[in-house]
Amino acid sequence: MLHLLTLEWKKVRKNSTFRVLFVLYLILLPSLFLVGKRLPDLPDEIPSADVFYMFPTVWEYLAYAGNWLVFFFLGFLAVLSVTVEYNNKTLRQNVITGLTRTEIFKAKLSYIIALSFVATAYYFIVAIVIGFFNTETIYWVKIWQEWEMIPRYFLMCLGYTSFALLLGLLIKRTGIALFLYLSYVMFIEVVLRWAVHRNLFDHKSMHFYPMNAIEDLTPFPLLKTAKNFGGNDMKFEILLSPSEAVGTVIVYTALFLFCSYGLLRRSSL
Amino acid sequence: MNVLQISELSKNYGSIRALDQLNLTVEKGNIFGILGPNGSGKTTTLAILLGILSQDSGSYEWFGGNFGSKARLRLGALLETPNFYPYLDADDNLDIIAHIKKIDKPNHDEVLELVGLSHRRKSAFKTYSLGMKQRLAIAAAMVGEPEVLIFDEPTNGLDPQGIADIRTIIKEIAARDKTIIMASHILDEVEKVCSHVAIIKNGKMLAQGNVGSILNDDITIEVGADDIGNLVTFLSDISAINSMTREKGKLILSVNADFSAANLNQMAFQKGITLTHLVAKATSLESEFLEITK
Repeated sequence: MLHLLTLEWKKVRKNSTFRVLFVLYLILLPSLFLVGKRLPDLPDEIPSADVFYMFPTVWEYLAYAGNWLVFFFLGFLAVLSVTVEYNNKTLRQNVITGLTRTEIFKAKLSYIIALSFVATAYYFIVAIVIGFFNTETIYWVKIWQEWEMIPRYFLMCLGYTSFALLLGLLIKRTGIALFLYLSYVMFIEVVLRWAVHRNLFDHKSMHFYPMNAIEDLTPFPLLKTAKNFGGNDMKFEILLSPSEAVGTVIVYTALFLFCSYGLLRRSSL
Repeated sequence: MNVLQISELSKNYGSIRALDQLNLTVEKGNIFGILGPNGSGKTTTLAILLGILSQDSGSYEWFGGNFGSKARLRLGALLETPNFYPYLDADDNLDIIAHIKKIDKPNHDEVLELVGLSHRRKSAFKTYSLGMKQRLAIAAAMVGEPEVLIFDEPTNGLDPQGIADIRTIIKEIAARDKTIIMASHILDEVEKVCSHVAIIKNGKMLAQGNVGSILNDDITIEVGADDIGNLVTFLSDISAINSMTREKGKLILSVNADFSAANLNQMAFQKGITLTHLVAKATSLESEFLEITK
């Protein structure tokens, strides 16, 4: 696996698109989050902006901000990692040179795992630093109270990137694959859930869609106490519970990876 | 030792039969040309051999099956277009090849020198001309000094200078005791570079053998006599006869183009030998090839 991961690294390390997208993630995660300090009006439910930055709630709020950035930047990196190779016919050349199709799949899998790992490690560092400077009295227990957010953040990264990988392999064209990725996450699934599913069955099952489950891994913390949030007329919870979200995302991620493998085995390169 | 053995290989694209029970053997040290017009199945054959396509039936075996699925690591190949990472320079691209082939000490300096790209090794691939791309592809095939090299239409689309350069490079590689399999639709190219040739058309093998016996100006004459032994003694004195093979009681002769069946008949008559069979094969394989490439 390490041999294949090194191969992926050799491919992307001098790619300017890769560098720009990755650096933007690194810059935006702390800076986007710190913009909250300058928010003029907070909803009544938040007494002070300090909760964004204090232990233990910093884990949840930063993860929510990270969710958007991971969806965008890591998702793009995963799509591009295959579509660029299709455009340049380099996967084909890799096979000619001697890789098997299974090895190509393993290489891409190790690539998205490594991306998710680095993104999560960075989230961890940023949360620790921000929390450390914004919490008045720091207890060990307080810091780690929300430690579960770390593996959930990792799973969130893996969920988005495996979905993006599948779309890249399926569509092969960079532009169309990115467009479909964005529109599925932002519109298509939302319409399916709220306009179609909810009209047919007004039931909690409408939450078990892949992208919604990924979002619910690191939800906006206030939604947890959203009983009285803006005219909520739903008969069931608005969020999946953490364990439901984790289970659902694991199943979908496995499915996306399984399909990616099947596609790579069969498709012409 | 057989480097490559292909048996009864077939492939269809929908209703189109791209390969029809192809048989082929390449031995170590051959410079093997696969000659055929565009669309005859050359690239399809190579793509199957390199694991890009899968065949519908039949089989092939590299190195007598000794290396299984790892056999491709011992090959260097250029299939159709040169495919590289456009944002990487020559060195980085060759690094990726060497990494996949798990070569500890890559010979980048040497292969870039061989193809004359040393001065541009630090330029990104996307800045290269077609000729340079093609030369880098040959350099990439040579990474790790593989035993067998596969070149698919290596001079396609190049200008005359580029074509000459590539041919010189291939000859240099051939001089290093490599086995080379080269697909081409240019008779002249195969004749100049290859030691052996297979001619295919519509996925079917028309002929294979060494270049000397297949692609030359010789005329084929079949002769027979009651006393074959006497005939053989008589024929072996004639210098215009380049080769003689015995088949089903007849002799098949390959003779110089300026020698005719009439000459032969006359000479036999003078020697008192009565020929019971005399056929001049008007169409040599070369003219057949020219016919199909029209």
